[in-house]
This record gives sequence, C-alpha cells and structure tokens, in this order.
Amino acid sequence: MNEPAPGKPDYIKIQDFSFHYGSKQALFDIRMDIPEREVTAFIGPSGCGKSTLLRNLNRMNDLIEDTRSEGDIFVNGQSIYDPHIEVISLRKRIGMVFQKSNPFPKSIYENIVYPLRVAGQNSRAVLDETVERSLKGAALWDEAKDRLHESALSMSGGQMQRLCIARAIANRPEILLMDEPCSALDPIATVKVEELIHELKKEFTIVIVTHNMQQATRCSDKTGFFYLGKLIEFSDTQKIFSNPAKKQTEDYITGRFG
Amino acid sequence: MATPLPSHATDRKRFETGVWTLWTDRLMTVVIKFGGAMVITAVFGIFLFILFQVFPLFLAARVTELKSVPLPDAKFTILGVDEWGAKPFLVKPDGKMLFVDFATGKESAVPVDFGDSAPHEITAAAINKREQKIAVGTADGKYALVSPDYKSVAVDGVPSVSASPSASAFKDIGVPGAKVLDIAYGDSGAQKLVVVLQEMDGKKSVSALQLKRKHSLLGKGADEIAGTFDLTALIPGRPDNILVPSTGDGVVATTEDGTVTYLGLDPEGKFQPLQSFRPFGDLGDARIAVADFLFGDVSLIFGAVGGENRVFSLFYPKGGSVRLFGQTHEFPKLACRPTYLVTTLRNKAFLIGGRNEASLRYATTEAIRWQADLPFTATNAVISGKYARILFLDDERRLHFFALDDPHPDSGWKALFGKIWYEGASEKKWEWQSTGGSDDFEPKYSLIPLIFGTMKGTLYAMIFAVPIALLAALYTSQFLDPRLRGIVKPTMEIMASLPSVVLGFLAAIYIAPLIERQIPSLLLVTVGLPIAAAAFGWFWSELPIQLRKFIRPGTEWLVFIPILLGLGWILWSLGPAFESVAFVTTDPGTGKKVADFRYWWPAVTGASFDQRNSLVVGFMMGFAVIPIIFTIAEDALSNVPGALKTASMACGASRWQTAMRIVVPTASAGIFSGLMIGLGRAVGETMIVVMATGNTPIMEWNIFSGMRTLSANIAVELPEAPHASTLYRTLFLGALLLFLLTFAINTLAEILRQHLREKYKTV
Repeated sequence: MNEPAPGKPDYIKIQDFSFHYGSKQALFDIRMDIPEREVTAFIGPSGCGKSTLLRNLNRMNDLIEDTRSEGDIFVNGQSIYDPHIEVISLRKRIGMVFQKSNPFPKSIYENIVYPLRVAGQNSRAVLDETVERSLKGAALWDEAKDRLHESALSMSGGQMQRLCIARAIANRPEILLMDEPCSALDPIATVKVEELIHELKKEFTIVIVTHNMQQATRCSDKTGFFYLGKLIEFSDTQKIFSNPAKKQTEDYITGRFG
Repeated sequence: MATPLPSHATDRKRFETGVWTLWTDRLMTVVIKFGGAMVITAVFGIFLFILFQVFPLFLAARVTELKSVPLPDAKFTILGVDEWGAKPFLVKPDGKMLFVDFATGKESAVPVDFGDSAPHEITAAAINKREQKIAVGTADGKYALVSPDYKSVAVDGVPSVSASPSASAFKDIGVPGAKVLDIAYGDSGAQKLVVVLQEMDGKKSVSALQLKRKHSLLGKGADEIAGTFDLTALIPGRPDNILVPSTGDGVVATTEDGTVTYLGLDPEGKFQPLQSFRPFGDLGDARIAVADFLFGDVSLIFGAVGGENRVFSLFYPKGGSVRLFGQTHEFPKLACRPTYLVTTLRNKAFLIGGRNEASLRYATTEAIRWQADLPFTATNAVISGKYARILFLDDERRLHFFALDDPHPDSGWKALFGKIWYEGASEKKWEWQSTGGSDDFEPKYSLIPLIFGTMKGTLYAMIFAVPIALLAALYTSQFLDPRLRGIVKPTMEIMASLPSVVLGFLAAIYIAPLIERQIPSLLLVTVGLPIAAAAFGWFWSELPIQLRKFIRPGTEWLVFIPILLGLGWILWSLGPAFESVAFVTTDPGTGKKVADFRYWWPAVTGASFDQRNSLVVGFMMGFAVIPIIFTIAEDALSNVPGALKTASMACGASRWQTAMRIVVPTASAGIFSGLMIGLGRAVGETMIVVMATGNTPIMEWNIFSGMRTLSANIAVELPEAPHASTLYRTLFLGALLLFLLTFAINTLAEILRQHLREKYKTV
C-alpha cells in the first residue's frame, strides 16, 4: 500500500477566533493550524473552551441561540464563515462524534446510511457497500454484521459509540471531529476506539477533545492545551508531554490542577 | 483542623427515620390507594348505571295469568275491553252486553236500548277501538252503532271502571233483509263508513253506507246518510272478510280464495278499485285466515290458513305516484291455523293465535315479543288499550286475564341497529325519528344514522384539524424562534379552554351564513394558500444565500406571513368572480341563469346544500380540536433529545430532514396520543354540533349537508324524553355507545402508543 502523500500543515487554519455565549466570552483569539491526516488533540480543564472550538469547526454552535463569533476559520483555504457557504454541505464534509453516543432510534443499518440518505443517496448497492466499509472502519463489522436490521439501541455502550463513529465516517468526510469520544466507555472499549483512531488517521484529519492525557499521548500527533478560553500551548504531542514550554501546561499535565 | 466524627456507639439515632416521615409515608400510601380505588369505582359505577338503564331495552315481554272467570252458556260475537283491561265486554246475539268485572270476577248482562222493541238477532259485530264504538249487524239486514261508554275514575291510583252502554237505532243497510255476515266501521269524526258483507240465497254482497255529521249551531248535530254504495261488483270472487280503515275512506275485502281488494273513496265520492293482490299467492294454500289493520291503519296484517304471517304496508312504490300495499314484513309461521288477530291502540304490536298457540308480535321490528302454548284453546283475544293486559276467551267459555309487562316492545337489537322497513317507506332503512305528529306514529330508533353522524362530524373535524395542528406543532417546535414559541404555545392552550358553546354560537350565527355566501372564496383560499405556502418555501430555498442570510433561521415567518395574508385576501376577494365563471346554473325558482354555488352544487351533484353543514362543523370543531392536538404534539416534538437533532445536523441533514426523519418518528408516540385525544374530543363534542349541524339524522357523506351525532342527540332529545320510556333508554344506549367508543379508541390508542414508544424509545 502506498503511503499517502503528506498532508498540508495548515489544513484547518484558525485565525484570531473568538467566541461569545451571550455576554460571556468563551474563546479568546485562538490561532492555530491543524495539519491534514494527523490527529490533533485538545486538552485542558473543564470549561476551558476546547469543546466550543471543536463545535465551531463544523458550525454546530450555530444551533445555539444568542452566540456570536469573531475571527475566521479556514478549511483547506476556504472560510467556513463565508456567507456563500451552505452550512449543510459544510457539515457533510466534516463528520462529528459526540461525547455521549447518540444513535438514532432506527436499525444499525439505517443509522449508518443516514448521512447518505439525507444526501439523496438511495441506491441499495451503494448503501450496502457503505455499511460494510463503515462498520469495518469502525471495527464493528464482526459484531454487527448479523444484526444489521436490529435496533441500534440494543447494542452495548461501546458498540454504540463505535456505531456513531461508523455513522460519522459513512459519507467519507474530510475531517472527523471527536468530542471526548471515550469518556463514557470502559477501558476495553476505549482501547478499541483508540486503535480505531490510529486506523482512521490514514484517511481523515482528526481533531479530538479529551480529558484523558494518556489518551492524548497514545493517539495524537499534535496537542493543544487550553485554559480559560485561551490556547496556552500548541505543538507536537511528544514535546508537550515531555518538555512543555509553559508552566501552566506542565502543572496541568502533571496533575497539579484541573 | 477537622472536627472529629461523632462516635457510632453513642449516637445510634442518627440512622433512624423520623416517626413523622414514616407516618406520613404510610398515610399518603393509604390515601392515594383509596383515591385511586374511588376513581375506578366512580367510572365503573357510571358504566353500571348506564348499563342498568339500557338493559330493559333488550328484554322480551312477560305475560302471566292473573285469573280466569267462567261465563254463562251463550254464544258471543265480540270481545272488547276498556283501556285498563278491568271491565271487558262481550255482545250476545240478543243484543245484550255482558260486562265482566276483573276485580270481583262477576259478570253482569246489561241490556242495550236500541230504541226498537222488535228483537233482532246480532250476527256480526266489529269494534272501532279508537272511537270505542261497536258496529253490529243483524240477521235481517240491519245495523246499529253501540257505545260502551266506559268511565274510569281512579280512586287512590286504582282505576274503577263503570260502563253505561248506549246505542243508535237499528237501520237498514245494503240488501234489504239479507243476513249480515261481517261488518266494518270506520270513523274519522267528520265522516263515517259502515260496510257490511251480506248473504242472501247463497249470493254474497258488499255494501257501504257513508255517514256525515251535519253540524248545527245548537248541539252536536246528527249523522246523515251521505251515500250508499254497492261494492259487490268491484270485488272479484266471494268476499269473506271486510275491513275499513279508521279514516273511513276505503275498504279492504278479502275473498275466499285469498285475494285482497283495496277500494278507495275518491274526492267525488265514488269507490275506485286501487289494488288487488294475493298476500300468500306464492304458497300452496293462499287462503287468508285472519286479517286486520295494524294500529295507524296504513298496514295490513294477514294470517294464512297454513299459519304464515305477513304484513303489507301502503307506500309509494319506486317510481309510482299512488300509495299501494306491498309486503314489508314476514313473521315466523304459526303451527296451527290462526283464528284470531288483535291489535292494540298503543303501538304496532299484534296478537295472533289459534287453538292453544298465541304469539305477541311487533310489526316494525318483526320481533316475537312473547309466544306460548296456552293451557286452553283460545277462540278470541283482546289487548287492553294501555297494552298492559291480554284477555283470552277459550272454547269452554272461560275468560282469562293475563298481565302483559312489555314496556319496550318497539326496541331490541333489530330496532336499534337493523335495517327496517318502516310504514310508508319504499325500502328498508336505518332511520332515527323518535317522535311524530300523531299517536299512531311509528317511532324509529335506529342508532346507525347517529353513529354515522358522529363519524362524519369527527372525520370532517379531523380532516381540518390534523394537518393544521400537526404542521403548526412541527413548525413551532422545530423552526420557530424559541422566544416566539414561548408566546405561541400558551396562546394555543388558552384556545383549548374556550367553551365550546361559544364556538358553536359563533359557528351558527356568524360562520355558517358567511360560508354559505362565500363557498367559492373559501375554495380558492383552501386550495390556493397551501400551494402558495409550498411555492414560497421552494422559492425561498432557491434564493441565493446572500439574500437569505438577512433573515435569521426561525424568523422566516416575518416575510412569509404578510405575503400569505395578502394572498389570502386577494383569493377571498376573487371568490365572487370565480363563482360567476365556474358555478353558473339555472335557478330552479325563476328559471334564470344565476351564478350561485348554493344552486350549482345540488344541480351538479344531486346532493343537497344546507347552511348548517359539515364544512361549518368541521371548521369549528376543528378549532376546538386543534389546540389539543397542537399542545400535546408540540410537547412530544420538543421533548425529542437535543442530542438526536445535533447528531442529525452533524450528519449534514437540513432542518426539514432532521424534523421529518428523526424528530417526528421519535415523537410519534406523543403525536399519536395528541391525535387520539383530539379524536376523543371530536367524538364527544356536543355544543358545537348541536348548534351548527342542523341535527338532521341523515346518512350521506355530502360535505354540504348536516348530521346528528350521538352526543347532540342526547342533548337535543333528553329533555323531551319521558322518564323510563323507550326513547329515554335509547338515549342512554347512545351514551353507552359513546362511552364504549371512547373506551375502545383510548385502549387502541394506548396499545399503539406503547408500541410506538417501544419502537422509538431513545437512550
């Protein structure tokens, strides 16, 4: 198998981005470049703004009332806040996995093909192919292949989360956003998801928010540390965890606060 | 630094639950259980009460013998009775009347003063029950009218009946000196008709005598002969029985071979043969054993020699313009040859029997109310005027008194739910008409038109309400700005609490006349607005995003509402122009061409157009139902977990796709509940339908005609229903049906709802 061509270092470019929930400012002038086909982790204590930033990458925060943003975010050179951009097509390019698994009350099969169906794809062959590819991609194929038409809600917690990953990658997005995908999972399921992230980065640009620093070390290439809405430090994961440049970063990763 | 924890050994009480907490807990458990049990008991009690009220409708008649009285050895020609059944009489051949007193069991022969000393042998007699007059015919060709002149005085609730019979003088009738074999007497007050069947030298003849009362300024006036008729030539065959309706304007004669001839008195005072038919012509033995008019004199009951029993009624045959007799009912065959057939003045029941077989039957419903093998051979019978006693005379000259307990002879499964051939109707029908103009009216208690009306009203209301309520709920919960949602929802909830009498009043006084004039406008708006809304939606989605971005999602209505309102106004104003183009027809009154939907609709569809119609009801009842469906459905839609919506959006679904594919299925159980509660409200809704439907119990789906629902029927008729009457109990049956209908709907809804909830439950 050919090694894929090296990705752009500034595939996602966040430029002086600030974000407000009503009168409360949640993000302050964030500036970072997220490289293509690598795993970037956001770490930081609760309420530091890492999830807010993640949710801005596919404009999910639009759904919340009374918010506003400043600055800009570019994906592959194009502003996602450009009024010409249709939010719906933006979200088709950027898949998302949430902290709590949220399968639809439908069958496993229908859950996975949902992104295709809303895009108007109804060809049986394409859907069948997608289900198999996505479930294999999410390492769920062996467990689910005999019960594709059972309710997704009959699965275990870990399986549901991997199902949500399968759903997020079903329509082959360019970017996969993961918001603490393992926080509700047991260690075995967590290992499976982490192995999965390793596999997926060959194909997708992954941004993951995590509370678990071991997880960040295990599966990310770059790490950004956030504190009180500010990006404190952003560099290679190896560097952040072995030799952080900032005192706050060191305090956090050594467990002195947070 | 830290305060030391108290020692466990010394302070055990920390872990004990307070006495009051336990006591309150126990008390509330008991109170709640008691309350629940009381609610169930109350509902069950109401159900039982209604059931108890309805139950007698389905009971058969009970007939029990009270006593029997032996009579002296003499030949009797007729058996008559007062309305209480307390003092029956028999007429002896010598002209004396024999009264039998029920209370004492004694008989007394009372001579009747015919004003004629010469003895006449009475050979035929007929009673006109309505006028309580007996026509008697003699062996020497004379007739007289006898009146028993009953007087009843109720003493402490027990009627005491006395009789002082009087009679008119014997007069000649028909063929002079010929023996009267049968006599019939009709009396409509103004005109009287006496018809006799006579025999002389083996030749039978039928003659009629018409009497008219001349009114003078003083006194009652006297009967004068208005005409004499020889009807023999008009009757084919040898007549053996003649009948005259109480209206005195016709004669029915049966002949020995089983032919019935119906003669009518035309306005010029001449008898015309109207019809001749053989009621049992299809049988081997077509001879008629007994025949009589049913109460009301529009139906004839026939008993065949072989025991068959049929009822023929006067009605306009399809396409005909003269009312003729046609078979309407067939009863089970009797085992023996019937020898007597008696009717009552109360209802459409009749008693037919022969030898020891007796059968009490109800003509309307073809029901056998009572049937028994008597321990004696009855030769004649009579039913008291109050339908409370049956008297039999047996071949050993004993008079048997039977108590008849049959409060609801006109009821039963068939009367309430079956298709029935009513008197005067040209086919079998389901019909509701509980009261009529006269005593001999045949009540029609079919609940089918009411059930139909209930379904029709509900259907039209739901057709109007469901799309509006559900789409409004979907829009409010998924697309509308949350701040506005906080205003819209409570407003709708206030609408739900509007008294329905106000809505009904509005519908009847304002909406109905408005709609009546503006049907074309309404049509334009109904068709135009949804199309315009859909078109606007498409247009909006095609607009470049630079334009759309000025309107925040959730506030699109700011653009949308003014456009729709304007368009609605334009369409409404275009109505008259549309009418003048599309709905031109000939005014049946003037013969001119007019553009009027009210004439166009009946002319084109053949269905009627009423001002109080289903459209008005659907519209107004829809208003009552919309807030209920809206509120419950909106709650269900809003309660769909946000995580599902976010997940759907993150998959690249639009707001509409998210709403239709994720939110609606997940909320389906709740939406379904809303629909069912709305349906229950529509089924049971009363005031709107009472005021806006016209309350016509007709069975047609025509949107421009009215209806009568079960609930409206109860509201309209209960104040007029005598306590414990058939109508009263039938109304309770309507209530029971409503109860069961709502119960069935709710149970079904709950089962389906559980199923949906199981299917779409979220994590």
